[in-house]
Amino acid sequence: MTMWLAQSNAWAGIDVTRHLFLFSPMLTLVCTMLAVVACPIIVGRSAKTIGAVVVMGIIASFILAVRVAGEVAGGGISGLSTQPASGMLLVDNLSIAFQLILLIFMGGVTYLWWMGSSDSEENAPEFFILLLGSAVGMGLMVSTSNLLMIALAIETASLPSYAMVGFDKRDRRGAEASLKYLIFGAISAAIMLYGISLLYGLSGSLSVAIVAQHCIQSLASGHNLVITLVALMCLLSGIAFKISAFPFHFWCPDAFEGAKIEVTAWLSVASKSAALILLARLAMVFCAGVSAPEAIGMLSPLAWGIGIMAAITCTLGNFAAYKQTSAKRLLAYSSIAHAGYMLMAIAVFVHPHSDHGQEGMSALLTYIAIYMFMNLGAFGVVAMVVWDTGSDNLASFTGLLRRAPLLAVPMIICLMSLVGLPPFAGFIGKWWILVALGRLNDSLGWFLVITAVVNTLISLYYYMRIVVQMSLRDDGQPALSFPLGGMALVNICAIALFAMFGFAQPLKTTSEQFTRNIFDTTMAKTVVVDAAPAQPIESVQR
Amino acid sequence: MDVFIAEQSWLLTAIIFSPLAGVMLLWLPPYGDARGVRRSAMLYSLVTLGLTIYALYAFQQSAPQVSAGSPGFQLEQRASWLSLPGDDFKPAIDISYHVGIDGISIWLLVLTAMLMPLCIWGSFSAIRNREREYYSLLLLLQVGMLGVFCSMDLLLFYVFFEFTLIPLYFLIGIWGGPDRRRAANKFFIFTLSGSVLTLAGILYLAYYAYTDLGYITLNIQKLTELGQTGFISPGVQWWLFLAFAAGFAIKVPLFPVHTWLPLAHTEAPTAGSVILAGVLLKLGTYGFCRLSLPIFPAASRELAPVIATLAIIGIIYAALAAWVQRDVKKLVAYSSVSHLGFCMLGLFSMKVAGVNGAVIYMINHGLSTGALFLVIGFMYERYHTRSIDDIGGLAKKMPWMAFFLVFFTLSSIGLPGLNGFVGEFLVLLGTAISAGTSDMRPAGPLGFGYVIPAALGIILGAVYMLWMCQHVLFGPLKEPPNTPDTSTGLTTDLNKREISILVPLALACVCIGVYPKPLLNSFQVAIEQHILPLGTVYATDIEPSRGRYEIPIHREPARTQHVKHARIINNLPDVDSSAKIVVDTQRPTDAPYSFPMSQDTVITSAFDLVKTPGADHIE
Repeated sequence: MTMWLAQSNAWAGIDVTRHLFLFSPMLTLVCTMLAVVACPIIVGRSAKTIGAVVVMGIIASFILAVRVAGEVAGGGISGLSTQPASGMLLVDNLSIAFQLILLIFMGGVTYLWWMGSSDSEENAPEFFILLLGSAVGMGLMVSTSNLLMIALAIETASLPSYAMVGFDKRDRRGAEASLKYLIFGAISAAIMLYGISLLYGLSGSLSVAIVAQHCIQSLASGHNLVITLVALMCLLSGIAFKISAFPFHFWCPDAFEGAKIEVTAWLSVASKSAALILLARLAMVFCAGVSAPEAIGMLSPLAWGIGIMAAITCTLGNFAAYKQTSAKRLLAYSSIAHAGYMLMAIAVFVHPHSDHGQEGMSALLTYIAIYMFMNLGAFGVVAMVVWDTGSDNLASFTGLLRRAPLLAVPMIICLMSLVGLPPFAGFIGKWWILVALGRLNDSLGWFLVITAVVNTLISLYYYMRIVVQMSLRDDGQPALSFPLGGMALVNICAIALFAMFGFAQPLKTTSEQFTRNIFDTTMAKTVVVDAAPAQPIESVQR
Repeated sequence: MDVFIAEQSWLLTAIIFSPLAGVMLLWLPPYGDARGVRRSAMLYSLVTLGLTIYALYAFQQSAPQVSAGSPGFQLEQRASWLSLPGDDFKPAIDISYHVGIDGISIWLLVLTAMLMPLCIWGSFSAIRNREREYYSLLLLLQVGMLGVFCSMDLLLFYVFFEFTLIPLYFLIGIWGGPDRRRAANKFFIFTLSGSVLTLAGILYLAYYAYTDLGYITLNIQKLTELGQTGFISPGVQWWLFLAFAAGFAIKVPLFPVHTWLPLAHTEAPTAGSVILAGVLLKLGTYGFCRLSLPIFPAASRELAPVIATLAIIGIIYAALAAWVQRDVKKLVAYSSVSHLGFCMLGLFSMKVAGVNGAVIYMINHGLSTGALFLVIGFMYERYHTRSIDDIGGLAKKMPWMAFFLVFFTLSSIGLPGLNGFVGEFLVLLGTAISAGTSDMRPAGPLGFGYVIPAALGIILGAVYMLWMCQHVLFGPLKEPPNTPDTSTGLTTDLNKREISILVPLALACVCIGVYPKPLLNSFQVAIEQHILPLGTVYATDIEPSRGRYEIPIHREPARTQHVKHARIINNLPDVDSSAKIVVDTQRPTDAPYSFPMSQDTVITSAFDLVKTPGADHIE
């Protein structure tokens, strides 16, 4: 088949084998999906069997991703296309970095599921097809700068998520949450597709690099200004829905509360960070397009827009978390707040007068890596409390430090880390974002620094509520029974958080390496050079 | 970035994190019983003590040589931690994991490492539930305290400083007395709110330093240099001093913000009280000593009368408050407030004698008040009460306990021959001579007027402490019913374990009281080098002089463009009031830099001015 592809005219000049190899991590996940489909027919529907197949798939994909990471370290490729800007998919440092994080996290979530559900779950194949499907969608989200592919990837990630939230048919809350999530998601998707169609109409291209050129031109010249802005906002709203940024966050607490805890953990990290990386990539392409001096001023409102969105998102998340009594709901609001902090990093590099892209991007990547461990640990503990007590109400955490010290201590560490207190890694995540903002040294940067610091103080209160509930209150409930493996998992997360604090410098260096040579900036710059006398917009409209 | 490695640089890191390793070992299977947990915790803390004693040995060995990194600091280790390179638009950031010790911190390190095994040993019978958590928290607390004393980077200092909050919060909140929740929360909120201001101050200081250095650093040595060269303007110093003081004064605690301390002390378990009084309060005074005095010299002088007045109010007020307490532990807690007032007084005399006295006072207070809390804890285990109204005349029944209580009371009130006296004497001496220049140093901000009320405080201290001894130990025997409680295996008088806990402390008290010279010498070197450097001369204090002066440049030549290692301030009003001396960093680091001085030139510099022999004749 490869031979045929290589011989056919449309693919001339493309090293198909290499391209397929570069996409192999995601392809492996797709194959795992197929294996999960085939498994019940060949072996049986046992949850443990399916789990084992999935774990093998994840490991294989991870190994391939590590190898691909070495391959693309010097610069990415645009998939199956000779035109750099027109590839539907692209593989570069950033997308591989995210896929590695995603695979580690998926391993953690699968492990959590293994302990919590593998004994009772009857629909394991279905669950994993959905989980793998959404993972593939997220992996694609970060590996594209093509509008059509963005829409497809977001839908690929979203549709399984809706189903996963309502996966337990007998659970009415889950069904309700799923429906809310679906309706919200469908509307956002519709708005986003509308925006994409407008952008296509304006520029005649689906490649973001080219679309960005046209947008900037019309922003600079005032031609089609309103419609460009509307289209961009529509596109942004689709992504903001996935990030659960204000004002598209309403689905988040309900969906998180109704879903099974493994699903909640999955959505809180994977789905959000995929969308954040996607937005970061789009922002980067846009910024790379802005080389003309007259267009530079255009970016300031965009930076402020994202900045204000970030500020409102995290403030709102923190205030709403204040009064929650359900741990899942509290962590849902906390994840909204953290999406806000991460959005701030994007505001850093949508910035007119400096080349901060890499700094903001590496701060974002560091944050995501840390955030994954914090949330995996926190949700892991919540999961084990739920399994034993049947409730995720804060009351079931009472006296946990006595009832299960080996769960309570990692929980305290994860919560402190979520606050951003040293000596845990959450501090490092916030630190790099704040440093990047501070080094902008302008009003937006300082505004966001102050917002983030004040928000950290606000968040201290509600995270500490859980800590106090676990440690200082005690109503004599019996000791908690929990799986040893789960205890090991959350403790590993806690130790990782501690280690990432100590080894902050290597962590930062690594994430800087993974944000170097990002495909689209360089390519978009060549586009700028090539398409400098870009087609007049009128001609496209005709 | 640069990783500086001195000889045996691993030692401090090993000391700081050895208790953490102990915690991890405590939680690894196989789980022993409570007895095993206690013993292993004790063992781990002894390992830390052993390492610290080795560090003391290594420190003394290498004392004469100036270390290659920062002068005066030894066993330095440095690794880049939160650093970023800069470019044309963005400043570089240099924040590192940087530890090292000088003559002050080594002894505080020894104090911390010595108190911890004693605390753990002292908790063997008192703590009967959740031992594993309890000892883990004690060891974690030790990590924070050791880290503070070793930090040479301000952010690292702050991280360790804050970290001490968390374990102590749980220690008080879980194993404390009946009002433990309120005590823990009050302690947490007080100290946290203060140190948030300190953090703001630290960040602003970093920004301010950046305007001079061109890169962001939180290296304490670097910042000290800036403070000493007069780069930080007095107005800024003033605000920064207040921001730093907000965190430190609450920790000390200084008079109006001391209210958390008696409550926390009363409710904390014995070991918590010992550590709180013995080491944690010293973090505040250490902060003043290590950071406020050297980095903000002008503001320290300006605000010293205010601080000293608050300290004296604290001395008298806490002494009076202690006098009326019925709870023995609360009485000792108030005595801590009173004693720490002396410490502050000594620091802000800004004389070597005063600071020396203050530092040795920190050690002494740690020993004697810590021991007092231990004795009271032992008593409480037997009688389940600490109220003076319920107990009395115990001397006959518990002669050992009586001996130690009287001994440490005498040590605490400063009986000559015991340790307390040395500190008190030096503090008062330093305060008295503060205004003069008899020690060949610029005049300090305090004076004899501060000595009189402080001395009154000493008398009051003797009164209430002896009053307490009298009520508890002498007179007719008074015991609550069904006591002493020996159900937990305790004997009526102190048992061998308890005596062995107190003996090392008593020995240390006697040693320091009889022969304090090694400590004082060690402190003196550090104070003259880091806290009140000889180069700290103020524009108004220096005589206009003529001749060539040389500045030995032995600091690392890290900067690329120019260095303002010294600053000449011309005091003629009609001439440009300041001029930079640009030091060429390409010069070999050991080559002195010399520059001419006119009659109207005044120098402020962080460096010892070395007058070249015969330089006067050159001019």
